[in-house]
Amino acid sequence: MRARHVIVSIAAVALLGQAPLIAHHGAAAYEVGKKVVLKGTVKQWIYSNPHCLLTLEVTGEDGQVVQWIVEGQAPNVVFPAGYRKDTFTFGDKVTVTVEPVKNGRPLGRFLAAVTADGQTLGPANSGATNPNAASQP
Amino acid sequence: MRIQVWGILVVAVVLPGDAFAQTNAPDGWLNPDWNKPAITNANRKPAPRRSLVGMWGPAEGPGAGTQASGVQLKPNNGRPENELPYTPYGLQLYRSHHALEGKDAVLPAQDNDPRNRCEPLGVPRYNHYNIRLTQFFQDEYKVDILYHYDNRWRVIWTDGRRLPKLVDGGVEIGGELREPRFFGYSVGRWVDDYTFEVQTIGVMPDDRVWLDSTGRPISEQARITETFRRVDYDTLVWSETIDDPKVYTRPWEAMRMTFRLHDPRTDVQEYYCSPFEQENYNKLFGTDAGSKGAP
Repeated sequence: MRARHVIVSIAAVALLGQAPLIAHHGAAAYEVGKKVVLKGTVKQWIYSNPHCLLTLEVTGEDGQVVQWIVEGQAPNVVFPAGYRKDTFTFGDKVTVTVEPVKNGRPLGRFLAAVTADGQTLGPANSGATNPNAASQP
Repeated sequence: MRIQVWGILVVAVVLPGDAFAQTNAPDGWLNPDWNKPAITNANRKPAPRRSLVGMWGPAEGPGAGTQASGVQLKPNNGRPENELPYTPYGLQLYRSHHALEGKDAVLPAQDNDPRNRCEPLGVPRYNHYNIRLTQFFQDEYKVDILYHYDNRWRVIWTDGRRLPKLVDGGVEIGGELREPRFFGYSVGRWVDDYTFEVQTIGVMPDDRVWLDSTGRPISEQARITETFRRVDYDTLVWSETIDDPKVYTRPWEAMRMTFRLHDPRTDVQEYYCSPFEQENYNKLFGTDAGSKGAP
């Protein structure tokens, strides 16, 4: 089934200020600037190197269920953004915003997530910067 | 043996109790603090003499050390000012590398980055791959750097020994040929009380290691010069210049990154390459994400 069947909403957005910080396999695989909002049920959350992976079952408008896999960075990288080993558990109803891959498969990387208990999390990457950082001496 | 300094213990003792006050320490397990206040004249403390000891992280935040787009001062983005002075062989070598980052990035299924086989990255690539919380220890003979990624450590000798002679196939020590190493052979000296200079040679050949995540090359003829300048108590500037006549026509500066001192009690999460986890990741995600085919 094509991924478009399960897209709840899709919009091209300018990811302002988002530096190319996804380190493991680069941005070449992604449709940079697009986002897909998925509402689904968690099947698995792997909190592991080299990337965390969330497997999600999403029911499309046609009633068909598609399994999406969403990646974040490694645990030490996503930790400051609030992602933990138990952020997602089997059966959770969650909303995840992803940047999809170019080839149309139901795969993407985290832009944001709303967990089952309503917690909102941002990109699962290393984009955190210190706003207080002094300029280079 | 008289040990002058063994980092964390000493740092913990000499710091005033509130110097590293944090609220983000559940059950005493300190999380990294990436939002430290800027150093100003009001809070600046003098640097200790001849000491790099401590846990250091990029001052601009954890993302600043990622260097996914290439070495810090020369991101591989196609801009003329960032083009490297390749020799013909160096350019050929670069073109044989199929990297997942940079202006010539390929899809995951097509890359040949040794990192993705969990090979040691070597020096200097450890300086350019997700450099985050990095710990320095020192005694009267050496400075040790503990890199976060893959829990790797290196030794820089400060006991007065000379840098070996670089020869074909490795280095010469005492008239004997010694093997090239992923971390090379490093010797350091204090240029002044606050500036430590390190020379490294004898690194692995160019078919085993890359310089950065965009596939820039480095060869066994490289001489890497690093300078660590302790600007003040909380600030360290780590610079790196590469002189590799096999690959580059002239020396060039790859990094000049500012680091901030972190609480030595900070819990550093593991960050490693596991072949098992890598394979699992590729099976679940990486291979499909990087394929060209229609779903």
